[in-house]
Amino acid sequence: MATAIPAIACLGVIGRNNNPLHTTILSTTTDPQTGRSAPLRTPLQFSLLLSSTLDIFESRARHAVASNTLLSGDFGLLHAVDDRLAAYGFETNTGVKFVAVVDMRGRILSGGGHGRPGGGGVTSPGGGVGGADATGAGGGAAASGTGPSSVVGAVGLRDGELKVVFRAMQTAYVRLLQNPFYDPEEGAKAGQLQQKRITSRRFAEEMRRIGDKWVPGV
Amino acid sequence: MDDYPAGSLDHNAPLLVVSGLGTGATKPLLADPDLKERGTLIRSELPLIDGREAKAILHCIQEADATSWPWNPTETTKKYRFKIKTIGREFLLPPRRARLPEDYEAPLSPPVLHSPFSPLSPGSTLYPDGLIDARWLAKHQEFIPSICLSFYSLTSDPSLATLNDNQLKTDINAVKHALSQSGHKTRLAVVILSDQAPGAMEPFQERLENIRRSTGLDPKTSLFVLPTKRSEAELEVAADSVLSSVFMQATEYYRDLSRRTRKKRGRGVAPQPTIPPTSGTSHTLSLQGWNVRYDFKAAVFAEFRQDMEAALRSYEQAYESLFGTDVLETVPSWSPRFNDGRLLADVIAVRILRCLFWTGQSTAGVRRWQAHRYKLSDFLDQRGRGTQNYGWQAWESRWAEVMAQLVEKAKFPELEPSSLNLFRPPEKALSAERLQPWEMLHHPGYWYRISARHTLDRRKLAYSILKMPGSHQTQPYEEYPLEGQGTVHAQKVLTHLYLAIGEFQKRKQKRLAVEVALESSVELERIGAWKQLLEFLTPLWRTISFRSESWWNLTEALSWILRNAAARAGQADLVLAIDWELMNSRYNRRPQWQYDINKSLEGVEVEEAPELSLNDDAITSFLESSFVFKHGEGRAGQTCPAQLAITSKAFSGSTPVVLDEIRVEFEGSLRALHLEHESSSPKQTSSEPRGMVGHDDLTIAPGQTRVFEVDVPLREAGEGKATSVRVTLAPEAFTLNYTMKLREDNSTGVWYVAPAKRRVTRPNPLSIKVLPRPPKMEVKFVNVLKQYYAGEPIHVEVQLINEEDVDANTKLDVHLYGQDVPHFKAHAEDGSEDLSSAGEGEEAKLDGPAIGTIEASKSAKATVIIDPINRPTAYDLTIKAWYTLVTDPGTHIVQIVAFQLNIVNPFEASYDLVPRLHSDPWPSVFDYEAIKELDDNDGSFSRPRGLAQKWCLITRFGSFATEDLRVVDLDLQVKGTQGDVVCSASKNQTLPEDGILMAPKIMDEARFDLVAQKLSLDDRNPSTADLEFMVRWRRTSADPASTPNATTFLLDPFYVTVAEPRVLASVYYSVASSPSSSKSTTPSTPSLSSTSPQIIILDITIENPSSHFLTFGLTMEPSDEFAFSGAKTTSLNVLPVARRTVTYRLLPVVEGGSWIKPQIVVRDKYFQKVLKIIPTEGMKRQGDSIMIWVPGQDADDEKGEETSEE
Repeated sequence: MATAIPAIACLGVIGRNNNPLHTTILSTTTDPQTGRSAPLRTPLQFSLLLSSTLDIFESRARHAVASNTLLSGDFGLLHAVDDRLAAYGFETNTGVKFVAVVDMRGRILSGGGHGRPGGGGVTSPGGGVGGADATGAGGGAAASGTGPSSVVGAVGLRDGELKVVFRAMQTAYVRLLQNPFYDPEEGAKAGQLQQKRITSRRFAEEMRRIGDKWVPGV
Repeated sequence: MDDYPAGSLDHNAPLLVVSGLGTGATKPLLADPDLKERGTLIRSELPLIDGREAKAILHCIQEADATSWPWNPTETTKKYRFKIKTIGREFLLPPRRARLPEDYEAPLSPPVLHSPFSPLSPGSTLYPDGLIDARWLAKHQEFIPSICLSFYSLTSDPSLATLNDNQLKTDINAVKHALSQSGHKTRLAVVILSDQAPGAMEPFQERLENIRRSTGLDPKTSLFVLPTKRSEAELEVAADSVLSSVFMQATEYYRDLSRRTRKKRGRGVAPQPTIPPTSGTSHTLSLQGWNVRYDFKAAVFAEFRQDMEAALRSYEQAYESLFGTDVLETVPSWSPRFNDGRLLADVIAVRILRCLFWTGQSTAGVRRWQAHRYKLSDFLDQRGRGTQNYGWQAWESRWAEVMAQLVEKAKFPELEPSSLNLFRPPEKALSAERLQPWEMLHHPGYWYRISARHTLDRRKLAYSILKMPGSHQTQPYEEYPLEGQGTVHAQKVLTHLYLAIGEFQKRKQKRLAVEVALESSVELERIGAWKQLLEFLTPLWRTISFRSESWWNLTEALSWILRNAAARAGQADLVLAIDWELMNSRYNRRPQWQYDINKSLEGVEVEEAPELSLNDDAITSFLESSFVFKHGEGRAGQTCPAQLAITSKAFSGSTPVVLDEIRVEFEGSLRALHLEHESSSPKQTSSEPRGMVGHDDLTIAPGQTRVFEVDVPLREAGEGKATSVRVTLAPEAFTLNYTMKLREDNSTGVWYVAPAKRRVTRPNPLSIKVLPRPPKMEVKFVNVLKQYYAGEPIHVEVQLINEEDVDANTKLDVHLYGQDVPHFKAHAEDGSEDLSSAGEGEEAKLDGPAIGTIEASKSAKATVIIDPINRPTAYDLTIKAWYTLVTDPGTHIVQIVAFQLNIVNPFEASYDLVPRLHSDPWPSVFDYEAIKELDDNDGSFSRPRGLAQKWCLITRFGSFATEDLRVVDLDLQVKGTQGDVVCSASKNQTLPEDGILMAPKIMDEARFDLVAQKLSLDDRNPSTADLEFMVRWRRTSADPASTPNATTFLLDPFYVTVAEPRVLASVYYSVASSPSSSKSTTPSTPSLSSTSPQIIILDITIENPSSHFLTFGLTMEPSDEFAFSGAKTTSLNVLPVARRTVTYRLLPVVEGGSWIKPQIVVRDKYFQKVLKIIPTEGMKRQGDSIMIWVPGQDADDEKGEETSEE
């Protein structure tokens, strides 16, 4: 029985107006048909997952206002969608939100080293594969039919363990903002619905690097 | 949880049977006919207690039933927890022992009979090798009460006391006996109700004691007396205390049972069945199996006692043993016992979870839940059919559902929806550990969702059977049971998803709820529940935040599902709306999809062409619009250029949309703007006001921006703002209106000028300020004079020319501003009466000389007359012409003209006052009669008696006007005197009849004689007079008969009498006359003769108005210019108030027409002071001396006139 440790399955950057700015999806599982590494969910499902964290950001912010407590940037665990995927969140003081979706069994420890299933991940710069059939909720990981115990998630997480990820994301984002040609508010003017996503390739690569590099501090 | 046998998972609470309070027959505890037949009847013969108090008590007790209480300890404020059953007066207890099967032959030794619920009894379902089942649980929870609580009534009637008490005693003893005979350990508790008050129970003590003694009941634990004569609240407290005491008994009861179980387990041998099994494998329950059974029992009894920790330990032990050696592993997977074992494992696991939750260990609970999952899947993989089948997924789904229900029942305060928490933080003991995020217990919504997911997987696996080669003809994925309907997966999925949505919505996870809704809509789509899908999804589609937050892929996913459903259900408007939205190229292009809105409804069943209205609040389409006014301001009646731009962001390659109409709505005074498609026939001749209509080809291709430039007529004054643009599509199949709000943002508008676009750099290009219509009434001043002068009334004529197209009703307001504004009058041309102004000081105004109606392109006149002003100044004259057009009497239009009046003095003057010799003699001190006359009239006659002095005022005035003025008259007036003097002025010369015409900048001179006489001779103070010089004049253009204007000059006060002595020189010309006659000659204009040598007579008069006697020395120097006769040197005494004259005759030796200069010195002998000699008419002064004109040729004397004294 192989032991699995958590790995980042998806990193999302969400703008001040709750608009998606960037999504990086990393492979944390293996496609049973092709045997190649694959993301655990479809881009659309990850989009939905990121979107659902906004409920929690809002609710926590409201709670903080009501109880007059100061929110620190790190929101910690937002929620766990099931026994594999959990979303962690961070909000900058300008209202930009970082979400890290962790696959608790995203990396398999085998023998000496550890690595993601199949090696390199697949990055999708946001957006989604359209089409009605892509919404099929059955497209989840469990569809592979693996019993729950074939891989045991032995390693848990402490709340602060994703701080490094968020810090790295924030650094990357700040670097992006320093680019005079990038205007975070572009298109976000009153009434406008067309809000620009981040198109910087360097930022995307940085996100992937952050996602790939992170291992829980065992 | 409903999938498990009834009662197998429920929390166990002591069963309490309440007897004697019920009003009638109740459901019997035992339903099983076999058990019923052999059950023991426990029966009381006494009648039921009725009445208000009994009902109240019963109510209190029934309230305490814990069946529906949440599965946690915190909810109960009470110390007890019961499951309460109310019976009449009787109930059945199940038989203690099973019976032998009928076909069984009696063995040699009597068989050992066991409980009918035991695997040892042949009649039992567990026989011979079952572990335990729900029937055993039901036996304790439903059939055998721990306590039978019997209510009796104590009569207060003394005559019946003995009889009743005896009946009571007998009955209690009978019930007690019956209970003990049944073999069960059910305890009896008796409550005796008395209709007395608690304080009045004293007389009954003896009777109660008697009852207690004869029934052997303990007053602390099993015999309670309840006086009922008290308030309901007090009754409740009493009932509460009874239940608390009884609960102790119940706990004892279950402790006894556990003790017995432990004892059996302690024997360490597997008991033998009553009859050895003969059928099947003849396998009996192993010792390990028995241990599972005993542990389970012990755990349940502990749960009855509410001792959850003990229960948890026992359950865990049972669970361990169950999966341990020699229990489940020995059971073949085909055996029904295998499934029974799995079921038992689940039951134990659920009960363990409940115990954990009960003690607040939620994270341990999640771990336990996972552990059971792993355990079971391992077990099935090794011993059973594995986990790669739909059965396993079905169990997974159920297992998640059970967890959801457990969490719901546990009612953690941290997970209450109102707390908005999504998960419960871990308990203290585990909080330091590295935890899986899932181990924070999440609210049931998550668990339901997982359950639904597993059902989906279950279906997938079931369907995959079909796809296998050589599959059955039947459809095994329908999971056919032998009879009835197959499993409807979708229904199961939907049930769970709906539950999940409910939970998410309760906690304001609206986005997650939409996500789950999306999952459920896929299911609805699958089962073709189009209508349901539409009802469910349409409101979400309308309100989701995905759209406003730019989650396009999510909006799109939802939209396609909904479109499909709408198309199936024939909901054409929805299909159109979705197609309209999805044409925007920001969505993903759907392969093989024809993006053409006109063909949207192909294949959709439509009854009639739908008409629908959309707006960009709800739906953002591919069309975007902007509107720009070129100017920020405009005037009513004029037009302002404006541009309407419509941009299409549709997918490239999509069919261009042909708009039927574009309509721009305005706010404020502007009317809507219509653009119609050129080829559109005039079919819509609707009666509504169409505003402005234009025609053009309104086809917009993808990626194209169409700009329409229009001139917007501005009608009324005020703010105008473009608010929305509505486009209408009207092909044959439908009509679609799409309204785009023109939003106010701070960006500047774009004005398109081919080929590049130019920005309009003003803040709000959507709005325009319409200024009022410009007045077309011309008001002008006519016959304006070049200059207005002080002293003349000023006539200002105003001409009003109506250049409007219609007649105007006009009225004037006249305002005059300036310092000390004069009054003025105004009147209209038609001779209406003058109106006078009001106000003084800075401003005078005159409201409304009505001019009346001025016809179009006609004019009217009005005149303003300002009273003469006496000084140079400036005024602002403002005339407001108010008018209304006869076509629009409500709107006042104002035209304002202003005129500056500069008023200057037409003349300026300078003055000289020179002394003259008064011809009248001074009063003589020697003239007695004159003095006398003076005395007589003293005090009663005002005629002045003082000294008179004569002066001449020489006025030089010049015209400062810019034009010729005719001076008609000059006048000097004495306005006042100071110092008791009478002063009179008289004109020295007369002007010609028609006055003098004075050209600009020409000076003229006028002389006035001034005679001043002191009132009293004794008054010698000097006195002054205030003089006013007045020029009466006319403009040359004025009517000679009109009143001349008067310009007056106020002079500084002049001294008109002096008290100092003075010397006056006067001159006469005569032809060789005697010197003595000189005095009588006329002083002015001496007649001249050129023939004989001329004699000039010079008088030197010394006046002494003082009261001193003065002596003067007089010296006349000889000169080359003339010869003279008279004293060369003489001395002159002048009496007080007297004057003396010395006369010289001069014969000039110079040519005529020149001046001679006699050197005369008058010296005050006393003061040695030289007095100045003052020249009078015809003389002038040069330095200290006087000069005398020697007339030469004729007309030379003029010179003397003009060159007067300085």
